[in-house]
Amino acid sequence: MNRAVLGLFVRKEFRDLRSNRQLWPAFFLLPAVSIFLPLLLLALLPLLGDPARLGHDAGIDLLIQTVANDPTLRGDSLQERIARLLLRDLGLFYLLVGVILASGAAALALVREKEQRTLEPILATPIRDRDLLLAKLLAAIGPALLVAWGSAFAGSMTGLIAGYWRTGKLILPTAGNLVGWLLLAPALAILAALAALRVSARFTDVPGATQFTGLVVLPLSLIFVALLGRPAMASPLVGIAGSALVGLLSVWLFNGNARRFKREEILTRWR
Amino acid sequence: MIEARSLTRSFAGRLAVEDVSFRVPEGRLCALLGPNGAGKTTTVRLLLGLLPPSSGQAEVAGHLLPGSERTGAELRANTGLLTEAPGFYDRMSGQENLELFGRLYGLRDPELRSRGEQWLRRLELWEARDQPFGTWSKGMKQRLALIRAVLHEPPVLFLDEPTSGLDPAVAREVRDLIADFRREGRTILLCTHNLAEAEELADLVGILRRRMLAFGSPADLTAGQPRLAVQLAGSVAVDQWGGGGAAREALRSLPGVREISLDGTTLRFVVDELTRDTPVVVREVIRQGGEVLSVRPLTTSLEEVYLHAVREVLT
Repeated sequence: MNRAVLGLFVRKEFRDLRSNRQLWPAFFLLPAVSIFLPLLLLALLPLLGDPARLGHDAGIDLLIQTVANDPTLRGDSLQERIARLLLRDLGLFYLLVGVILASGAAALALVREKEQRTLEPILATPIRDRDLLLAKLLAAIGPALLVAWGSAFAGSMTGLIAGYWRTGKLILPTAGNLVGWLLLAPALAILAALAALRVSARFTDVPGATQFTGLVVLPLSLIFVALLGRPAMASPLVGIAGSALVGLLSVWLFNGNARRFKREEILTRWR
Repeated sequence: MIEARSLTRSFAGRLAVEDVSFRVPEGRLCALLGPNGAGKTTTVRLLLGLLPPSSGQAEVAGHLLPGSERTGAELRANTGLLTEAPGFYDRMSGQENLELFGRLYGLRDPELRSRGEQWLRRLELWEARDQPFGTWSKGMKQRLALIRAVLHEPPVLFLDEPTSGLDPAVAREVRDLIADFRREGRTILLCTHNLAEAEELADLVGILRRRMLAFGSPADLTAGQPRLAVQLAGSVAVDQWGGGGAAREALRSLPGVREISLDGTTLRFVVDELTRDTPVVVREVIRQGGEVLSVRPLTTSLEEVYLHAVREVLT
């Protein structure tokens, strides 16, 4: 692996991303939502944790039952335990941020080079397929993870403040949250980006690649987030195991991408 | 040196290039002529190792193809490619684009910067180097693409339609630059539609239409059968000099004459040997009552050779 070439491409991709007006709104919108969501949920806390509504609202009944059955949610009051549940499970959202942004950037990574007619001159250089794909992957997940982690930090701070305002307690992220954000979020973002890169290599137009990614790759990635994310938020061990599983899948997918990266197909399927 | 040995490539069962063989010795420029879709770009991609051949082999700059990924990478480090579209990033400046590709070709500072500056100055792009590439004129873009092709000083260059879509002045500049590259001793494969460009620059010419229809030096290709034009004075009686006319039949019976045609007041002859047959033909024309205004040998242009070869395939 040529580090100089990787660094070069990553810098170029960052630069390209900065000027991509299709993608940038998502990079601002999702962190904004991540600050707003804990505030909204904790503002509704008195309604959600109102014992007077018990037996009248199935949703509230389920929520209270969940809190009661989860030994990890300790607290002096029902409201505090519900607040802990809400903030813990909100951690899932930051996994989504990484997946959405990484797959969005990766979907454009190769197809934009095709549209700009820059791919053939790149392929005519001594760069190897694996280096090119790795650079594209790193460039797609780097900014996505920075935003995801930034959003998680901002959301945690908001949760801390809003939690204190509502319950009088400092509600810190759980160990599951931290493992999820630091391990599972990158693993899921990499998996989604690799799938989107495969799409980007096969499509010849940007709208086609982004639509396919939005309609197929993203929903499939969200299934992974849903299946692994919530248990991981509750248990750091599940988070570690889930990250390892997704990591193995990613290695398999990367090797598949490298094998299926057919220069001939790419060069002969220009629009 | 560039050598193709029976290169064949098909896409989904359709032959793009079939049994193409040719050799361009070191330091020579070969122009590959052919209509759109003739397989010129596919041939270049095969020779660069960007596409594997369906069958056949090639040797470029000492590297055998098809080869491993490493062979392909080494080959590409020793070759430069000018694609039909410049292929740079519009939002990056000209210099940034050049540095990006220079690094991909393995160049490092300070060599990269000094070479970049040298070339940008030589091609009068230095002043515009910091402006976004997207704002450059077509000629400037093409010159930058040429710099990219030679920045890493490859011994072999592939130039795909280098003057396509350029105004005559810029096309002239680009042709002069290609001539400079050739003088510097690079081996060059130039794909073009421009026959005058090929005639001006090339040591060797290949006419490609899926197969290699003709290959050789321009002089060899245009040598062909000797031809002669005899222009007659005054009005020319078609019944005498045209098809079936008595004078024409007399000329046709001359031993060295192969073909005769009448074009206005000019008689065209295809003969066996120009120096031997010209006086015989002229004497016979005069004997038949023709007043000879001028006599000149006819040369075959590359255009005629090209059109003849391409049409022959079509029919």
